[in-house]
Amino acid sequence: MLRLFAALAVAVVGTTANAESVPITGNVASKCSIYTSVAGVYGNPAPDQLDTDPVKGGVDPVVRFDVTAADYYIAKISWPNSFATSPSLDDALAWDGEVTVSQTSDTGMAGYEAAKVEYDNITEYDLTVAGSTWFQIESSVDYGYGKSFPGGEYAANVTAECIAS
Amino acid sequence: MKTLLTAVVAALMATTAYAHEWTPTYPKFEPSFIEDIVVTTMTLFNKRSDVEYYEITVHDADWNLVPFASATKLVYIPYLGKESVEIYIREADCDRIEYICTTSKQLLLDAPSSGIDSRICSKV
Repeated sequence: MLRLFAALAVAVVGTTANAESVPITGNVASKCSIYTSVAGVYGNPAPDQLDTDPVKGGVDPVVRFDVTAADYYIAKISWPNSFATSPSLDDALAWDGEVTVSQTSDTGMAGYEAAKVEYDNITEYDLTVAGSTWFQIESSVDYGYGKSFPGGEYAANVTAECIAS
Repeated sequence: MKTLLTAVVAALMATTAYAHEWTPTYPKFEPSFIEDIVVTTMTLFNKRSDVEYYEITVHDADWNLVPFASATKLVYIPYLGKESVEIYIREADCDRIEYICTTSKQLLLDAPSSGIDSRICSKV
């Protein structure tokens, strides 16, 4: 009799231990993040010149764009054409710049550089592949004609835009 | 010249990777509790330690500004903070709105902090 009760108890306990399905849900939304990988530093190779070129004592800023889905975003990067902070300047400034792809996380991004569109101080890239792309920005500015930049703080901003297409 | 060099170096110092996010990518407007006004909710995530303010703007296809209402147009959001922002527009403007953007804003005192302004635009 005792064995019968024991067997029934095991059977009842066994039925309560049914397997439950545990759902795992997720959602992948298209998203763009802009990272400041390296902020730039202007070198001062000549009294009338500021340049981020490492050869001229500067550091080129680098911006990273992360996109989670392909073909959803356009990257628009502008090199500076004015100072955010500077001493009073009474002569003309000649700005120049260049944006290039410096690194990619996917071989499919190899065509970005050839397909870029440039106008004014803006460079556009169609982000057709999901992943990370690093863009290097060169910036230089000449002051007047052989004039020295006055002493003080100088800062100029690169603008990195990620626009849904 | 030394002062200038020091200032320039200090102005744009190298930093680690910082980011900002603005989602969803394709927001949808829904009727609000006010007649003829529609609303959408956007989320801003600040992963930039050098920026605490973001400006919200709404544009048409030609990048003209379109009027909108929200609790604040200049959002204060601390590092690693997340903020949901409700954006109200007139129902009549629904067809011409193309982009809702956030742009990082630096205080004048902080202007040299990274030297990079980030702007992300969602498309309606």
